[in-house]
Amino acid sequence: MSHLDVNGTKYPARATLVDAIETAWQRLARPGTWWNGEQRIAIAAQVRAAGVCAICAKRKAALSPYGGREIHAAVESLSVEAVEAIHRVSTDASRCTEKWVRQITEGDLTEEQYVEIVSIVATVTGLDSLDRALGRSNRTLPLPQAGEPTRHRPAGAVRDLAWVATLSADTIQPEDPDPFTPHGSIHIHRAMSLVPQEVINFFDLDVELYLKDREIRDFEQEFREISHAQIELIAGRASAINGCYY
Amino acid sequence: MDTLAVKGQVDAAAVPHGNLLLAFTQSVLLDEPQVNSLRSEVIETLGDSAFVDICATIASFNAVVKVADGTGIPLEPEKAARTQEVRARLGLDDRAE
Repeated sequence: MSHLDVNGTKYPARATLVDAIETAWQRLARPGTWWNGEQRIAIAAQVRAAGVCAICAKRKAALSPYGGREIHAAVESLSVEAVEAIHRVSTDASRCTEKWVRQITEGDLTEEQYVEIVSIVATVTGLDSLDRALGRSNRTLPLPQAGEPTRHRPAGAVRDLAWVATLSADTIQPEDPDPFTPHGSIHIHRAMSLVPQEVINFFDLDVELYLKDREIRDFEQEFREISHAQIELIAGRASAINGCYY
Repeated sequence: MDTLAVKGQVDAAAVPHGNLLLAFTQSVLLDEPQVNSLRSEVIETLGDSAFVDICATIASFNAVVKVADGTGIPLEPEKAARTQEVRARLGLDDRAE
């Protein structure tokens, strides 16, 4: 058993959870598939900025999130469209629409870059939410690592399932990073498969925060210090608060 | 357990410490002032190891919703069929696109 340090108190934690947290932070700082390390950390910083953003708060309170004229300003290394995408997915994801995703990705921000943004938003949200729940301050963002993104677009990705192109277990090619073998290939695993390495990055963390796919419906045994029923109760409440009904 | 518990509308006592888990989850995600006292109660009631797994579950479901909603991934047809009754009771289909 390893531990998580919360303001000097050491709480027992699975070693695999502690390792997954550290790996996720390190991966955020590394060059990704479509963004370099500096840009990925800038995206992470914008996820946090969104939490205290006046424009986002105003939109969140509005009946329609697309009615206002205010837009977010570009920041160093990120375009207006990128910042807009980061803030909206961070603060009001349940009111994202296919039309908005199409519009935001028809110019300088590519569909592939958008998907990597979704992954970084989800990862930073998960890591920061964990710290908030534990009662410790958000970690200082890691220093970006040098290097170029791989710019690997899976040849088999097509737009036939979600608002963005996706892969399936049938269309993935040997040259693609394979997220399906370790994590499964239901829709949630396919969601970000236009950037397959990001599926791996996110779910390597998520299966330790939650459960591995095969563990979710294995009611013969418990895999955590709380029961399946307790896990799903928390999950249901968190999803309802977020307005997510996937 | 009544499925409306996840919407915070009914008692979740059928799940051990269900009401405490719901209250803590909500206080973390909505940044409510009672979060510190609820955190202490969770640790005291369920123990240190369970507390970590509770926090991890909250984090997971505050994160994965971004993946689902940011990409517009649909529910699997077989899952939709299996959960039809629950979804109707929670009013979820009214909100789905």
